[in-house]
Amino acid sequence: MSMTIWFGVMLALSIAWAVWFLKRPLADNGVDLEQSNIDIGKQKKLELQADLAQGLIDQEQFEQALEEISNTLALELKQADSKTLTKSNANIWIVVVVILLPIFTISVYQNLSNYTPTSKSASIDLPPLTLDQSVVKIEQHLKENPQDVKAWKMLGLSYFDLNKIEESLKAYEKAYQIDSSDPRLLVEYASALISANDDQFTPKPIGLIKKALEIEPNAPDALYLAGLFAANAQDFKLAKTLWNKALSALPEQSVDRQALVSILAELSRVESGDISNTVTVNVVISDEILASRSADDYLMIYAKAAQGRPMPIAIQKLPIKAFNGQIVLSDMNSIMSDKLLSQHDKAIVVVRISATGGAMKQADDLQVASEIITIADNPSVTLNLK
Amino acid sequence: MLVELGHFALVLALAFTFLQVILPTIGLIKGDFSLAQLSRPMLWAQFFWVLVAFAVLMYAFVVDDFSVKYVANNSNTDLPDMFKISAVWGAHEGSLLLWALVLSSWSLAVSIFSKRLPRDVLTHILIILGVISIGFLLFLLLTSNPFERLDIIPLQGRELNPLLQDFGLIIHPPMLYMGYVGMAIPFAFVLSSLIRGQLDSTWLRWSRPWTLVAWSFLTFGITLGSWWAYYELGWGGWWFWDPVENASFMPWLVATALVHSLSVSEKRGAFKHWTVLLAIAGFSLSLLGTFLVRSGILTSVHSFASDPARGAFILAFLIVVIGGSLALYAWRASLMRSQNSFSWLSRESGLLVNNILLVAAMLSVFLGTMYPLLLDSLGLGKISVGAPYFDAVFVPIMIPAVLAMVIAPFLRWKKDTISRITTVLKPVWLGVGLLFLASFLIVDNTFVSLAVFLFIWIVLHSITLLVTRIRQKGSMSLAFIGMILAHIGIAIFLLGATVTTQLGIEKDIKMEVDQQITIKGYEFVFKGVESFSQQNYQGHKGKIEIYLKGDLIAKLNPEKRQYVTGMPMTEAAIDPSLYRDLYVALGESLGDGAWSLRIYYKPLIRWIWLGGLFISLGALFAAFDRRYRLRVKS
Repeated sequence: MSMTIWFGVMLALSIAWAVWFLKRPLADNGVDLEQSNIDIGKQKKLELQADLAQGLIDQEQFEQALEEISNTLALELKQADSKTLTKSNANIWIVVVVILLPIFTISVYQNLSNYTPTSKSASIDLPPLTLDQSVVKIEQHLKENPQDVKAWKMLGLSYFDLNKIEESLKAYEKAYQIDSSDPRLLVEYASALISANDDQFTPKPIGLIKKALEIEPNAPDALYLAGLFAANAQDFKLAKTLWNKALSALPEQSVDRQALVSILAELSRVESGDISNTVTVNVVISDEILASRSADDYLMIYAKAAQGRPMPIAIQKLPIKAFNGQIVLSDMNSIMSDKLLSQHDKAIVVVRISATGGAMKQADDLQVASEIITIADNPSVTLNLK
Repeated sequence: MLVELGHFALVLALAFTFLQVILPTIGLIKGDFSLAQLSRPMLWAQFFWVLVAFAVLMYAFVVDDFSVKYVANNSNTDLPDMFKISAVWGAHEGSLLLWALVLSSWSLAVSIFSKRLPRDVLTHILIILGVISIGFLLFLLLTSNPFERLDIIPLQGRELNPLLQDFGLIIHPPMLYMGYVGMAIPFAFVLSSLIRGQLDSTWLRWSRPWTLVAWSFLTFGITLGSWWAYYELGWGGWWFWDPVENASFMPWLVATALVHSLSVSEKRGAFKHWTVLLAIAGFSLSLLGTFLVRSGILTSVHSFASDPARGAFILAFLIVVIGGSLALYAWRASLMRSQNSFSWLSRESGLLVNNILLVAAMLSVFLGTMYPLLLDSLGLGKISVGAPYFDAVFVPIMIPAVLAMVIAPFLRWKKDTISRITTVLKPVWLGVGLLFLASFLIVDNTFVSLAVFLFIWIVLHSITLLVTRIRQKGSMSLAFIGMILAHIGIAIFLLGATVTTQLGIEKDIKMEVDQQITIKGYEFVFKGVESFSQQNYQGHKGKIEIYLKGDLIAKLNPEKRQYVTGMPMTEAAIDPSLYRDLYVALGESLGDGAWSLRIYYKPLIRWIWLGGLFISLGALFAAFDRRYRLRVKS
């Protein structure tokens, strides 16, 4: 039975109950207030006589007390308002109850269901769940609520964090089909697409970012991605303009703001040739490998945090044929504004040769990783692919 | 879906409570019986739907439905089933739902067991109880909805406060609530009489057993709370003058005065002003207790929910209840004039002294509790009022009350003489003097000597009263037995509280493996610490062996727990006995196998709770006296 039917059953039972007792009033117990006071007075006299018999009071006190009991009773009988209740036609009240009970109950329930004064602060301080657990729970939820955009978005984000890019994209696509007017969703979806394409800005994410900015021109995350697109296209001036605009849209205490400030500073250093917090990666590829791979295979060089999520914190991808033996990773190569290279203490550098250039390691990919390095040392790492 | 049905049931309960108030009120005004009699069936329906809502919330806990915010915040899958059930009232929303259920249950009991009350009197009482229920149901639904859903369902919930994961929590709050909420019954009886303008024998007769039952629950609830704090908080204390403890103690003091005052009003028609005001004060202080705990004014283990909006609601409710009832009292004051005079030496005057001292004691606690809050709220600085204040102010007020307590039953109603009472009690006083002198030779502590004196004083007077009654072949009513039990309970409590406070020994000590310490002849040997884990916590378990004259008498395992949420807890280990408790709490690891330990020797501490149980039992005995089962002829 659906919830509405259950509500209906509960209401029907309630109305039936009230109507029943309006139609068939409970019998009076026949206890009269005056008689009740008289009987209690009599009992008090008996108790008094017992006190006298036990010597707890003497004759004089007995008589005084007896007089008091009589006086009290006389006063009570004088006070008594012997209003007699009569039975009247209850039909009008039945109509009132039948109409008002459901109206009251349903309207109050509807108001209270929406009335969530604490819902804005409803984020409960739960212990962190593992991502896998979250995904299971969200998927269960989506089976019952397949049109819940929020849940699809959460699922996309969870899969993205689990590095399951393909599943993440499917979830975002589903959310996008249900509601394509949420700029936050458009930006998240665009981020996932960019990540899936090894940080390449393909037409789809570019379209999504444009759409997000049309809906909300000052959306900071959309501006950030647009700036990144500009920077990738070597248009640092436009990138700077977009990032500054994003900066002005962010609140003073925002973590993203701090990240953007440092990325803008990084951009200024790039422009002035002064780059800090960099990881220089020298890659030596053996002749045998070079011979066995296509010149169009991709060389992916990225740094990931030494602990935590496996997402790259800075990455460069280029065809082998375009590689000159060394690249420098910096914040400019970070793909997430809140996960810049310089924000991390320790990292691992990974070099991979891939025929597809996909984010996920394939069976025929060749990969080598460095020891843990300290970012603040601006280290230089040499990795050999043999 | 079930959760939504629970929420809907709560709204239905509110609807029926409105019907319980509105239709019978119209019925009484119009003289329409078919409407007036509705108070009972509407109340039964209200009780049913509150019970449904409560059962739904309990079910949500049992099946780990973390889509419910309240469940997710207060339970998890690792929580043992027993605590999943008690977690229902482990935090604000659920405890308020329990409050509503208890109020509904009390009202139901009144509607069922008041067969000898005239129906229109009962209708008035149920209307007033309905108004109080409306206040609490609105409070629940508007500010403290226990059925609120979460948008995203967490797989795992939070931890129930580990302090509350204890058998004590399963029974302490429901018992205390039975007492708190029970004070609504004498309040409703009084208000009904004031509204009807008939402060008569019927009101006094039938209000007293309900007051006694509520007082019994309140006593039992406070006693349980003290016992729980003793073994659970790891401080070895049994009363901390915590504002929340005081919040329950103030209505207890007033209720104590009320049961005595009702006795005088019922038997002699005097003290009606006292009785009315005490009934109003008792329930108002219960509401004040709720306000103190729920408003977030206080910071203590009890203030698990702090929300100024909730506090404002209860404060407004408190103002309406107190203001409204005092206005009614002022309106009907002329009806309470008593023609019955009594001498300065009489049972009435003894009970008057009792009332005055109990109210003065309550005011001293009220001042010590509220004054720091008032100063703080006015921005006049923070002051701390603790045990030294209460020991200096409260205790001296209570000593004469205790002395007078056992003299009053020997006094005659109306008028007595010093010579008669002296003649009757001379042998008792001689016995008290001799026993006290004998004990004085053994005890060298002034406070303990005083407590021993008061203990002997109460017990000898009570025994004499009992023997006199037996000799006179007088009726051994349940009320009389109840009085004796309650008074002896006070004596037991007094001795236990004073001896444990004055003669208790506390040692904070660093102990290495196999090191020993001797306290009062007991040798505590530290045998090290081992790690362990349970369903929802892990921790360290200390091993302490206790020897007396070379014989091993106990092995204690105090624990230091770390719950899954990271919250640490100290679980003391106790070797209990009627004469003394040996109490060990595990502190911190100090390296090289050494640990800090807190070891207490607590003489007679069990007497504190034993005394409480005697008082509670005494009240129950009195409540079931045969005179309250009198069948009124109609």
